[in-house]
This record gives sequence, structure tokens and C-alpha cells, in this order.
Amino acid sequence: MTDFSELFGRRSPVPLPGAPEMVTSKAVTAIGQRWQCQRCRQWIAATDRLPNGDWYCRTCLQLGRLTSRDRLYTIPEPNRFARLVMGGLTWHGRLSARQMQAAQAVQKHALAGQRQLLWAVTGAGKTEIVYPALADALARGWRVAWVSPRIDVCLELAPRLQRDFGGVEQCVLYGGQPVPYHYCQLTICTTHQLLRFDQAFDWIIVDEVDAFPLATSPMLQVAIDRAQKTQGSCLYLTATPGERLQREIRQGKLAVTYLPLRYHGYLLPPLQLKISWRWRQQLGRGRLPAGLQRQLRLWWTARRPFLVFVPHVADLPVVMAVLMKAGLSGGTTVHAADPERQAKVQAFRAGNYRFLLTTTILERGVTFPKVAVAILGADDPVFSTAALVQIAGRVGRLATDSGGQVLAYCHSNARTVQRARNMITRLNRQGRRQGGRPC
Amino acid sequence: MLTCVWCGRSFAPAITVTMIWQWRPLPQPALCATCHDRLTPISPQHCPQCGRQQTTVEVCRDCRRWHDNLRNRAVYRYDAGMKAYMQQYKFQGDYRLRLGLQEALRLALEQVDYDILVPIPIDERTWQTRGFNQVTGWLTGQPFQQALAVTATHKDRPQSAKTRQERLLTPQPFELVAGASDLLANRRVLLLDDVYTTGRTLRHAAQQIYLGGAKAVTSLTLAR
Repeated sequence: MTDFSELFGRRSPVPLPGAPEMVTSKAVTAIGQRWQCQRCRQWIAATDRLPNGDWYCRTCLQLGRLTSRDRLYTIPEPNRFARLVMGGLTWHGRLSARQMQAAQAVQKHALAGQRQLLWAVTGAGKTEIVYPALADALARGWRVAWVSPRIDVCLELAPRLQRDFGGVEQCVLYGGQPVPYHYCQLTICTTHQLLRFDQAFDWIIVDEVDAFPLATSPMLQVAIDRAQKTQGSCLYLTATPGERLQREIRQGKLAVTYLPLRYHGYLLPPLQLKISWRWRQQLGRGRLPAGLQRQLRLWWTARRPFLVFVPHVADLPVVMAVLMKAGLSGGTTVHAADPERQAKVQAFRAGNYRFLLTTTILERGVTFPKVAVAILGADDPVFSTAALVQIAGRVGRLATDSGGQVLAYCHSNARTVQRARNMITRLNRQGRRQGGRPC
Repeated sequence: MLTCVWCGRSFAPAITVTMIWQWRPLPQPALCATCHDRLTPISPQHCPQCGRQQTTVEVCRDCRRWHDNLRNRAVYRYDAGMKAYMQQYKFQGDYRLRLGLQEALRLALEQVDYDILVPIPIDERTWQTRGFNQVTGWLTGQPFQQALAVTATHKDRPQSAKTRQERLLTPQPFELVAGASDLLANRRVLLLDDVYTTGRTLRHAAQQIYLGGAKAVTSLTLAR
């Protein structure tokens, strides 16, 4: 018997001849006067017509071009999986009492098929909290996807899940993945890859739901909705839900589980505001704000590793030059398009660099022991409220860390900085009620 | 504010006093400055035969091996940026990207003296799958004659997937369309292609055009 599992719950432009129950539909359909791509559900611009008369979708072009000549093929998801004992869980760690409570709440909402949010501060151990619910879901024979808008998050998560869910067949999907897709019960992928799925998943876990590009892309929101079955549900994980999610909580459309305290019971480090008047002009003249330079020297002489966040890639060499002139050696810069990005981050974690100059790419998903953080130009629109809270969350992630500071240098007390400080204060107030200690 | 066709970001084009002083419609660039800088134009220091960027103006080693006098000009270098552009435009089939280089090609065509413009054709199969000819996509109303057609109905592999040796051994893929001789007789023809790699394709095309009775054949490619 030929294996048709490749099309189970997929939306593919390539048919498998002879497959039973294969459903097909046009890839690009006319709705009224306009054309709509049936993979990403976005409208096609009136100018995107090929000379041979076909329409093509530019929005999801990266997944392979769809034209009005193409068709999409799918086989409805049959959930053809072997029964698993314990949901394939091979993790032997233990959850703290607080984490356990949250884990049970998540499990309850998942069973009820509710859309839910796990709002846990940075460094609360979100991944592990989901484990009991995930094991339960897998044991029931659900097909589950763990997705994130960030490829780094997926790549960091995949080996962890591989280790902790050794009994489950898994696959990792992202643009340019080395291994081809195969049908399995647990899929780890970027949100873009969900466009290739059609009512496939019983449960979707969306990690870092507020991260770029998911937060600003209606296409990806639709992708999540369409990749889950009609009776399926999803779980959002984040430390900093955006306005939209917070509104849905207030309206009662979204079940929520709070965890305002880190796993080691210490509170979040507060974001300290330092006004440095006209820092941009100072930088133009080759100077850093005096306070920042003094602080960096303090950290440097104390041999504390530190991160300096700057708003733009173009600022990296400028700041680096100033620091070199001031005699602070042993650091490096890292940005999104840096070919050695992973290696540099690894080296910093291992202590081979004394500091790292970076942009928002290191705002989430990374842990450095004993790190301190300075943000130059925290009032720049690049740093959203969520980004600032995440950046602050890089500090004090391990139980052994203490005394880490987060300093935000800005020209003015911008609204984003205020909101970030308020959010941290609010979370810390809730945390203190649950017995948190300041770090 | 305009939207860059390549990266999709919105940008404000730079406006100079000269532009305002000239009292013409302001240029509407399709690429933002960053994307524009990903492509490197070829300076006047290039090989007089194939148009390759080099430090001297002598005939390059590849051209000396050909022992002929084809004259080609290229607009951009075929570097990482150009490869990325071609990948998205030609191989992924993003037809809208054509807008990004139309202006550059228009200026380059103005520099060349010719009577008839002949773009390199694509075969029927590519037309079906890609849906457009990548070369004519860059033209903005300049008159051209489709004097050539592809004979081989099915190419086993695209030129871009072959090694240099394999490419040089490719048999003649073009033929003249019916009535081409009337068009070409005693005219100066300019061939237009996307990338000059070994020069095999352009020489095949030039051979056929000469058979059609053309007086002179030169070529222009977007990248070298």
C-alpha cells in the first residue's frame, strides 16, 4: 500500500495520484472582482497578473508560488497514530508547587477545548509548565503543533522536546529545513509553515505569541486559525501579551493562567530609567552618555558580562568604536544578518566575550548567566513595551544570579518605557503577594 | 511614501533641489536605497568583449578563448545581491520584481545604438510554468521583435544548473521564426538577455541572427 500520509491535513499544490479521500480546490479563486489566495487568504493586488493571464500570490511566495492555474490537494486529518503510554513523556524533572498549579489549569482549559493564554513572566519555565498538558494531549491521540514566529525559538525548542518527549515522533519545519516533511504527531514549526496545513491540529501551542512578525501579520493569525480543526483549540505562551490579547482576556474570550513569579522565586529586576539628554547627538560626536560609560566600565572591571542593546544595526559599529577607545576590550557585536550570530552568542554564554553589543534580536529566548543589561535609546520606536520587558527579563534568570541591573538610557521618558516599567511593577506586586523575594 | 518591491518596506525617496528645478515628474524608484545598494553597477573598467567588471580594459581570459568578436555590455555584476534578485524574480517567479530594474535597463538601452531589439526567448514549458519571459518583463514599452524561438521543446536541465564544460557543449537551441529574415536584413540587432555566464547562449543566438542577414549583432545583459 502506498503511503499517502504526506497529505494528511496538508495543503499541497502537488497531488498524490490514487489517494483515497483526496479533496482538491483552486489555489487562487475569484471573489467578486478580486482574487484571493486560498493558502494565505490574502487578497491579490490587481497588478500581480502574469503575461500568460494567471494571477499569482506574492504574500506567500516564499512557500512556493501559487497561481490561478494551480490546485491545492488535501486529505482530511485521520489522526493515525500509535497509542502512547504517558504521552511519550521521558522528562524526569519536577515542577514547583506554583508551576504545578499553573500546569493543571492549562491542562483543564486544553481538555475543555478553550482558547487560552499562559501569561508567565520571563524565566518562569513556560515550556515545562506545558509538559503535563502536552503529554495528556498526545496520550489522547491528538495531533499537536508547537509553533513560534521566531526560528531561533523553534531551533532551541526542538532538541529539548526531542529529549523530553522521547517516545513521540516529531518533525521540525522552517524555511530551508534540511530534512523533508513527514507525517507525525508532534510538529515543531514556524508560524509561516502553518500555511501549509489545513485543519490538521487538535491543539496548537503558540510560543512567544507577541513576537515579530506574528503580532503584526494578519496572514499568520489566519494561518493559526485555519491549521487547527474546527473543534481544536490553541494555547498562547508569552510574558508580554499585546493589547489585543489583553482585551480578549477582559472580554472573557480567552481563558488565562497567570504565573507572576519566576521558577526560583525571585522577582523581576526593575527597569531603571536614566535620562540622557540628546544621546543621539552625543553619539554622532563619538561620545556615549557619561553615566552609561561609567556604568559599563564598572561592570567591565568587575568582570560581569553585560549586554548593550542599541536601536539600529548602524549604531553597532559606532558604539563599539567608542567603547574600544575607552579601553573596554573583549566584546563583540551581533545582529540579525550576522553570519556568525549563533557562534558569537554561544561564545558569550561560555564566557569567551566580556560583553555583547546587539539589537533587539537577543530580546528573548536566550539565557546568559550573571548578565547585566543596558539599553541605549530605550525611547526609540524599535523598542516596544513588550521588547523592553523581554530585555529586562534577560537578567537574573538563574537561581544563582543576583544583583543584575537593567538600565534604560533615553532622551525622554517615553510612553513605551513607562508602560514597560509599569508592567514589571505590576507583575512584581503580584509576585510579592505569592511570596517572591527581590533579587 | 513608496513601498519597495523587493523588501516590502516603505521608504521616502531622496529628493534633490535639481529634481525640483528640472520641473519634471519626480522619479518613483521601485527599490529602496538599501535594496538598490545590494546590486553593484559595472564601472567603465570592464572587458571590452563580455562586459565583465575587472581592473583593466583588456580582453579577459574567457573571451580570448572564444576567438570571436561578440560585443556585450552588462549593467550589474552577477554577485550575491544579483543572485538573490534572480532567485526571487526568475526561479520563484515573482513577476512584480521586474519593476525594480526597469529604470536601470531603460537607461542602459539609451546608451546603445541599434535598430532592432531581440530578447532571448524562453521555451514553451518555461512559459507554462513561469508564466512570463524574464527579459521582456524588464522592458517598458521599448519596441522589440521576437525574431528567435526555442527549438528544443524540452530541455533536460536549465542552463543555470550546468557546469561550464556542459554549457559550452550545449547544441544550438534557437531558430529564426518565419519571416525573420525580412526584419533582420541589413539591420543592427541588439540581443537582450538576463545573465551572461559563459556566453554560449548569446553566441548561439547571434549566429542565428547573422544567418537572418543582420549587419551587426551586439548584446546587452542585465548581469555579468
